[in-house]
Amino acid sequence: MEMNAPIAFTKQAEIQAAVEEVERNLAPDVVRIRFDIGEDWSGQWAIFFRVVLTDEAAKQRLREVASNVVWGLARQLDFSAMGVFPYHNFRSVSEQGALQEPAWA
Amino acid sequence: MGLAGDLLDDARDLGAKGDAENRDSCRRRAISTAYYAVFHLLVDDFVANWPFAGQRARLARMFNHQKMRDASFAPGDKGNPSLVETQLVDVVTAFRQLQADRHRADYDTGWRLVGTDVANAITLAETAFSKWRAVRGDSAARDHLMSMFGAKR
Repeated sequence: MEMNAPIAFTKQAEIQAAVEEVERNLAPDVVRIRFDIGEDWSGQWAIFFRVVLTDEAAKQRLREVASNVVWGLARQLDFSAMGVFPYHNFRSVSEQGALQEPAWA
Repeated sequence: MGLAGDLLDDARDLGAKGDAENRDSCRRRAISTAYYAVFHLLVDDFVANWPFAGQRARLARMFNHQKMRDASFAPGDKGNPSLVETQLVDVVTAFRQLQADRHRADYDTGWRLVGTDVANAITLAETAFSKWRAVRGDSAARDHLMSMFGAKR
């Protein structure tokens, strides 16, 4: 397996810009998106998006909003060329409020 | 309905039980079961086309989770994917996300699961079911299933 650091590490400003555009386009459903780059469970390089949604979006329209996030990011970022596979996890404002995990703040 | 559909129902039931009883174990099993529902959906579809019924179970056991995950798919024209290609990308993406979530649910006891994690896993599985059923007869989908089985291009 190729374990050299992926190009994505050098593209974090581009990724951040894409993230901010998706946040703007999908507001207010999407409250914020955080990401980091690392290895997934099998040791392959990946980018992990953590997406905080409004309670209403998470409860009532998760399928639609999550799909919009996934496709919105994929339209702007060529993950394959960056050498990473994207993973997306979602939680609501209330859930994050209860857990208070810094990585999602 | 078959094993895949039964597993999807089980995932929903486990998710509901996890919510009702605030049981982390049920939430984890719901995510894991949602993954296996999609796994069996794809494997069962592949082996159903093998003409020798007595060999289908053996053929199914040849599927390897990592090979299935690593089978890549990209639309011919990334900027203008066809409807079938778009649906197939959704299936492939859902499969890979579910596989990663299953691994965390089964092994990462530090993962602080929330209801949205479970809802998203079930939603992804439902999406994979509906989209796979829409495209499963298309040559691109059949070709991708061959790749998931491990066939080289």
